[in-house]
This record gives sequence, structure tokens and C-alpha cells, in this order.
Amino acid sequence: MRKFAGEALALSAPFLLLAAVWEAVARGGFFPSKLFPPLETVFVTLVRLLVSGIIWANTEGTLLRLALGFLLAAVVGVVLGILMGRFRVVEDVLLPAVSFAYPIPGLAYAPLFMLWFGLGDMPTILLVGAASCFIVILNTWKGVKAVKPIWLRAAEVMGAGERQMFWKVMVPGALPYILTGLRLGLAQAWRILIAVEMLMSVERGLGWMIFGAQQFLETDVMLSGIVVIGLMGILLEKQVFERLERYTVVRWGMLTA
Amino acid sequence: MKTTFAWQSLWRGAAGFAFLLVLWEVFARSGLFTQAITPPLTSIAKTAWEITLNGTLPKNAAFTLGRVLLGLFLACLIGIPIGMLMGRIRAMERFFLPLVSVLMPIPSLAWVPLFILWFGIGEVSTTLVVTYAATFPVIYNVWTGVRAVNPLWVRAAAVMGAGQRQLFRKVVLPGAFPYVLIGVRLAFGRAWIAVIGGEFLASPVWGLGRVIFDAKEFLNSEVMMASLIAIGAIGLVFERVVFQVLEQRTVARWGMVAMARR
Repeated sequence: MRKFAGEALALSAPFLLLAAVWEAVARGGFFPSKLFPPLETVFVTLVRLLVSGIIWANTEGTLLRLALGFLLAAVVGVVLGILMGRFRVVEDVLLPAVSFAYPIPGLAYAPLFMLWFGLGDMPTILLVGAASCFIVILNTWKGVKAVKPIWLRAAEVMGAGERQMFWKVMVPGALPYILTGLRLGLAQAWRILIAVEMLMSVERGLGWMIFGAQQFLETDVMLSGIVVIGLMGILLEKQVFERLERYTVVRWGMLTA
Repeated sequence: MKTTFAWQSLWRGAAGFAFLLVLWEVFARSGLFTQAITPPLTSIAKTAWEITLNGTLPKNAAFTLGRVLLGLFLACLIGIPIGMLMGRIRAMERFFLPLVSVLMPIPSLAWVPLFILWFGIGEVSTTLVVTYAATFPVIYNVWTGVRAVNPLWVRAAAVMGAGQRQLFRKVVLPGAFPYVLIGVRLAFGRAWIAVIGGEFLASPVWGLGRVIFDAKEFLNSEVMMASLIAIGAIGLVFERVVFQVLEQRTVARWGMVAMARR
């Protein structure tokens, strides 16, 4: 019990220090309090937004967009990646384009997508999907290529058909890479989604909430939004990314933790 | 045998690329969409040539790259010492790790509106966002790297009478260097995204992101495409050339990592 309390204190110490510094700056009058609100103002605002449901509505919008964008990236990425790994022609045609497009930050396409598809949800989802699919494609492709030829030959010798070969050898063999790609893709999607929401003026979303609050100098709302974004990021990291990784690591023993 | 294979795949790659370009050209000229929003390659190339000659594209690219490098430099200045301290001193790790784990998952661009209120639009806000994006990968990897230094080396050096300072400079720093490089490389990728978003939102005077954003207002899609290509090319050069060479000259030469042949 005592150990637990000590642990909790040690864990919260950096935050307490940071909070104290923030409070000192906020109350010191260096900045107008409208621009640099004390913590209790932020807290009160956060509670107000939680109770009135504004935060939930915005979080829901952001999560929905994240899920749809990521789903798009996952489907397109895995399918193209497998095709590239399986068929030489597809690889030859797509690989140069994919390698060139991969280092372009997806966000840079945002104005182009605005011209092509307008504002709102659809272009946001498309852009998030487009931005995060390249890493899925590349990892899936690498995974299919990394399937040991000896496994393929063994399965062939034992009389596996084209279909069995695909489902029983190729897919399980490439799965660790595919999952890594998906994990990286989801992280990528999350990182740019907030910014895309600011640009695409979606109806509801945390990015949009922060951006809108800026117009009214509501720094407390912006900080509340950042807090929620941070919490969601931690949840994604701990609950989704790490689980996915552990799943690959433990089940296939192909990576070491 | 090996070389013919490489040539063949190069040739096939080029053919694949050309095929896609032709596909775009046909699509652009088909009149399915107006050429104002899907410009044919010839006009993109022409515009790219023009804005390169009159100096606007190089100037914008230089500003964007300069911002990224400045942000990366600041991130190393902050991140390497913090990461080193975290890796070496237990109390520091206990202090910084919770902060880093909380701040790292916040996408850097979420801070832009707040930075704009605090520091105004322009240079300061953009550079700060880039620094924020780049700092955490550096901290995280340096911390991991210092912990990954073989304890046997540290003990051996200590037994042979290395002081705290020598230990640090001759053992810990080189030992952690592969991870430091990985961190900086990752940070560059993050910074490269953040700078574009920062330039969209915080509108500094020059920069490729700014150009793309402005060109949208005037339906100037050739300029947008040309700038996009420039962004991709610079990113590719850094990823494939600069960091690769850096790796070859340092950690690969010291025999710490096996260089994959490419």
C-alpha cells in the first residue's frame, strides 16, 4: 500500500511540477489570461464540455473518420500489396509510383483533394486513407516477398492448389509484416487526421473544435481539446498499437519484443 | 548475372512509371474533368520549369527545408541531452518518461492553433510545430539507445579506469549512435509532415506548403502539382541519400549494423 502510494507520487511528480509552472506563468500576468488560462479554468471548461456532450460529439466524429479512413487504407493497402507481391507485372507498374508517393506527406495533398472533392467528410476520409495506405502497401508487399520459397515449394509438392497456397501459406507467412504495416498506417492516419479536420471544415471533430475555438479566442476550449486528443492518442497507442504488436510477436515469434 | 538482374528491374520500373504517366496524361486530356483541376503533364512540366527558372520554387523549397533543418537541430539540442539523461540516470527517467509518454501521442499539428494565438502567424509558430514533432522521436530513440549499450562495455571501460566523462564520450555515445541516427531519421519524416501542415495553417511568407495552399485559391493546379513533386523529391533525397550516406559513413563503417544492400 505504502509502495503503491510512493509509486503514484513518483508518477505524478512531473505533472505536478509542470502544473505548478503553468499556474505560475498563468497567474504571473505575463500573458493575458484569455490567452494563457490558469488550469482550473481549463478544468472547468473541460467538465462543462463533457457534461454538455460537445466533447463526445466531436470525439465521435473524429473516431468515425479515423476508422473509415483507416479501413480504406487497410483494404486498398493489403489488396495492392498482395497483388504486387504475387504478380511481377503489378509490382513493376506500381512500385516506382508507390516509392515516390510514399515520402510525400499526405497532408500536402489536402488542397488538391479540396479542389477535386470539395470540403467535408468525404475528402477527409479519402485523404486520411490515401495518406496512410502507402505504408500498408509497402509492408504487405515486403511480407509477401518474405514468404520463404521453400514453404511455397513444399506446399506445392504436397499438392496445394493455387487457392490453398494463398490462404494457407502466403497469408499467414506475410501476416506479421501486414500487421506491422497496419499499425504504422493507423498511427499515420491519427497523426494527420487532426490537421486535415482543421483544413477541411468537417461538421464535427476535435481538430475542427480546436480550430473553431481559435476564432473566438477560447484558449480553454483549445486546451481541453488537446487534452482529449492526448488521451485518445494514449488509448490508441496502449490499447490498439501495442496489442497488435504483441499479437504478432507472441503468435508468430518472428519478432523479439 | 547480378547486374543484368538490376538493369532488368530498373528498366521494368521505368516502364511502369512511364505507363502510369501516360495513363494520367490520357485521363487529363480526356476532358472527363476540366484541365484546370487535372492538368496534363506537359503543362505541369512547363510550369515546373518556369517557376524553377524564375526562382520561386527553389526559394520556397529552401525556406521549407530550412525550417525543417532548424526544427530538427532544435529537436536534437533538446532531445539528445534529455534522452541521454533518461537512459543514464534513473531519477531522470522517472521524471521525464511520464511526460514524454503523455506528450508524444498528441499530433503536433493539434498545437498549431494555440501556437498561433501565442506567437502569431508566421515563422515562430511553424518552426515550433516542426520542433515539437521532431523532438519526441529523438528523445525516445536516444533513451532506448543508451539503455541498449552493452553493459559489459561500460563495465570493461570502468575497470580499465575510464572516468565518467570518458565513459560517456568513448563508450555510451558511440554505442547509442545507431539509435540516435534512427531517431533523427524518424524525426525528419515527422518534421517533414509537420512543416507542410504548419505552413498551411500558420502561413509564413515563403514555403512549399504555403504555395500549394495559395495556389488552390487561384485554381492553379499546375503549381500545386509541381510543388508536390518538389516536396516528394526532397523527401526522397533525404531519406535515400543523406541518411543512407550518414549511416554508411558512421555506424556501418564502425561495424555496428550490417548495411542492407540496395
